[in-house]
Amino acid sequence: MTAQTETKPRKPGLGILKSLLLMLPISLLSFLFLTGGPPGGDPLRFIAGIVTWLALNTLFFLMLYTGKTYRYRLVLFVALALTLIITFAASILSTRGSLALTEADILQGKTPFCHLVIPTIIIPALFTRTIIFPGSLLTGFAPIASMLVIWAGATLALGRGWCSWLCFYGGLDEGCSRILKKPVIKSIDRRWTYLPWAVLLGVALLSAATLSPAYCEWLCPFKAVTEAAAITSTLILIQTVIFVTLFVGLVVVLPILTRRRTQCALFCPLGPLQSLANKINVFDVRIDPEKCSRCKLCMRSCPTLSLDEASLESGRTLMTCTKCGQCVDACPRKAISFHIKGTKVGIGANVARVLFLYPTFIFFSAFGGGIIASAILNVLKLVTTGRMY
Amino acid sequence: MQKLKGILGYTWAALLIPLVVATLFGMGDWMELLVSSTGLTVSPWFSGDVVARTVAHAGYETRIHRPVFRALIGERREGFVQVDWGPLEALPAQVDEEVDFDGDGQADFRVVLDTASGRATLTPLTEYALGLAGAYRLDDAWAVRAALKNPRR
Repeated sequence: MTAQTETKPRKPGLGILKSLLLMLPISLLSFLFLTGGPPGGDPLRFIAGIVTWLALNTLFFLMLYTGKTYRYRLVLFVALALTLIITFAASILSTRGSLALTEADILQGKTPFCHLVIPTIIIPALFTRTIIFPGSLLTGFAPIASMLVIWAGATLALGRGWCSWLCFYGGLDEGCSRILKKPVIKSIDRRWTYLPWAVLLGVALLSAATLSPAYCEWLCPFKAVTEAAAITSTLILIQTVIFVTLFVGLVVVLPILTRRRTQCALFCPLGPLQSLANKINVFDVRIDPEKCSRCKLCMRSCPTLSLDEASLESGRTLMTCTKCGQCVDACPRKAISFHIKGTKVGIGANVARVLFLYPTFIFFSAFGGGIIASAILNVLKLVTTGRMY
Repeated sequence: MQKLKGILGYTWAALLIPLVVATLFGMGDWMELLVSSTGLTVSPWFSGDVVARTVAHAGYETRIHRPVFRALIGERREGFVQVDWGPLEALPAQVDEEVDFDGDGQADFRVVLDTASGRATLTPLTEYALGLAGAYRLDDAWAVRAALKNPRR
């Protein structure tokens, strides 16, 4: 007869006092980021900042107190993606007067820059010292340099965590992936996970050859909900049809049917770059093989297909892990945890998680929080003045 | 060794917090530093490149940009030159001007631009001018892009 030893799962959350104390620095920093200090100028702006600040800090507190990451992150992440659409539309309308991108806008550098362009600009920037994007380097809405600085800092701090905490598009397919309780399509052939590498290679080479951002011009699904060129030719019509088809397919339908982030896991060309950044990032998610019962709940729940059978044996997630916390929360034996490289797996898991959440939330407060606060401001302005901007 | 790796891991993780704060609070400075230290500019295929010469008229001016032929390595066989007329309120109803894009003293093409409708015609005067690539109403100028054959290729 063999005695089965049952490891008692660790208590995931922190106490109220500890959670409040740990929340304090984030509260102060986020207050500065979101309100710009004490009330002064625009009261509506201050109200929008305070509402965002309260929401962010409540969710951060709940993350600390309950020990659950994914469900609260999901709320923030979806809110970020939805409010981006409002903020984007209002900013574009105020600067350009129309959502449709014209050739004159392109000549004048009035296109907002986003992180999905980054894989396409690297080779031309190295060879020609130019950015192949019709935006502005330092001025206007979403200038190129600001996005590059934020992306570089966040990538250094979070690796592919960018994709689950700061990407302002990811919440759209993640939100859709939560609509059904159970997936209709239960399995995705793992070979599809190589597709983003092919997309990356294709758009990087095509962009270098043509000196134009091929992904933006031909493949970006999010053009369907942000901006697209005014349809003045058959070519632009074809491009628009591609954008809408990819959006409906990859961001809406497939996430609903599979309960996975299909655009992020199977298509986005920035994903592979962030995966490489995971290699040098200090944070990762690890599995304690001794605690793991091989129930595979983590594999089934991972939104980006970043766990496989080999992961359970090796105790390591795949390099595509976005550190969303879904597997950490889902594991019934608490065998999965946030981890700092170089430290022992499972030891000090709460410390590792808090050290990961801190830079993540500071970034989110300033970057994502700013987007959410702007959207709330736009709505408040619409209600009080009849104009969004 | 394991202990040292652990200490280094925690130290690096903790250092990320001030790094993130510095990134965000110093955003403007980092942006300036990025642009000045790398010398990055927006691709001339979009911006039209810098203004190379200006021709003054009564109340308005013609700005002839540097021709754009840049390729990833070297130059392309074909490119364009952008010519702007502004400010808008000072422009005559029709601009009719011969443009010497390479500054060799010989006009390369003639542009006739209706400043009310934006209708433009371009007549090549040398073998290097290929035709009209587009006419665009900017915030305070009309711009025309003339397709060019690269004289150096």
